[in-house]
Amino acid sequence: MGRIMHKDALKESFSAALPIMAGYVVLGIPCGILCAAAGMEAWMVALMCALFYSGAGQYMIPNMYLAGNPLTAIIASVSLVNTRQMLYGASLSQFCGSCRKRLAFAFGATVTDESFGVNLARFINGGWSVGSALAVNLFSQSAWLLSNVAGALIGSAVSLPTALASFAMTSLFICLLCMQKISGATVVAAASAMAGVIVCKLVGLAGPAILIGALIGVGAALAFSMRKNDSHDSDIRMGA
Amino acid sequence: MPVSDFLIILGACASAMLACRVIPVFVLKGRSLPETVVRALNFIPPAAFAALVANDLFNPAAMASGDTWSWLAPLVAAIAVAAVGVKTKSLAWCIVTGVCSLAALSALPAVL
Repeated sequence: MGRIMHKDALKESFSAALPIMAGYVVLGIPCGILCAAAGMEAWMVALMCALFYSGAGQYMIPNMYLAGNPLTAIIASVSLVNTRQMLYGASLSQFCGSCRKRLAFAFGATVTDESFGVNLARFINGGWSVGSALAVNLFSQSAWLLSNVAGALIGSAVSLPTALASFAMTSLFICLLCMQKISGATVVAAASAMAGVIVCKLVGLAGPAILIGALIGVGAALAFSMRKNDSHDSDIRMGA
Repeated sequence: MPVSDFLIILGACASAMLACRVIPVFVLKGRSLPETVVRALNFIPPAAFAALVANDLFNPAAMASGDTWSWLAPLVAAIAVAAVGVKTKSLAWCIVTGVCSLAALSALPAVL
C-alpha cells in the first residue's frame, strides 16, 4: 500500500472485521481437520488459504477428493460455485475508480461473501476507503489461514471422525442456502438443482452430480425468469 | 494427497477464483454487467448450494444398507441447521448447531 495506514483507520477495520474473524475460526478449524483427513499437509493448507481463499471451495476439495472424484470434476464443481464472486467484483468496482491499480487488485483478490457484505455497507454509508476495505479482507484472511492450519495440525495429531468435520461443510452450505433471497425463480433453481443431484446419484453419476445438478438449476431458473420477465432477478444482490 | 494432485487442484481453482474476483473490478469500473449475465449469475448460488446440500444428504448407499439412522440422523440435524440459519443467518451458529446435533444424534442409538 505504499504509505502506512493511520492507526485509527486500522483499528476501525479491525473492529469491522472482528465478527467475520470469529466466524472464520469456527469455520476454519473443521475445514483444516477435513483437509488433513484428505492427506494435505499443513503447508498445503496454508498455501491454499493464501492463494485460493474460499470457504466453500476449501471444504469441497478435500471432501470430493476423499469421495474419489476425478480432479477435473473437483475443479469444475469448485469453480462453478465460485463464479458468484464475479457479482461482488462487479458491484465493488464502482468504489475502485480512483484508487491505484495494485490496491484495487489486492482488494478484489481478497473479497469473500462475508467481507463483501461488511465492506459494501460501509462504502455505501460513505467515508470508507479501499485501503480500509482491504485491511478488513486481510484481517479476515489471516483468521481463516491460522484457524485452518490449527485444524490441520489437530487433524494430523489426533484421529477425529471425518463425518462430523464433513457435516460442518453441509451446515455451511445449508446456511448459505438460507441466506439467498427467496423468489419464484430462486426456489425453482434450488428445487431443480436438488432433483438433478438425486437423479444423477440414482443413475450412478455420483462424480458430476453437483455440477450437473447446479447447471440444471440455473437453466430451469433462467427459463422460468425469462418467461415471467421479472426484473428483480437481474439486480445485483448483496450477501451470499 | 500427492503433491502433484494438490498443485493441479490449487493451480486451477486459484486461477479461476482470481479471474472471477479481479476481472470485473478492472473491466467494469462501475458499469454494469449485461442483464442476462447478472440474471444467470444470480441463480448460481441458490442452485449450487442446493446441489451441494442434496449431494451431502442424499446417500443411496446408506439408504440401501438398512441402517436407517445412518442417513436419517444427518437429515434431522440438517433441519435443525436450516432453522438456525433462517433465524440467525450466522455461519458460526449453523456449524456449531450442525456438528453438535449430529454428534448427539449419532450417539443416540447407543444410549437407548
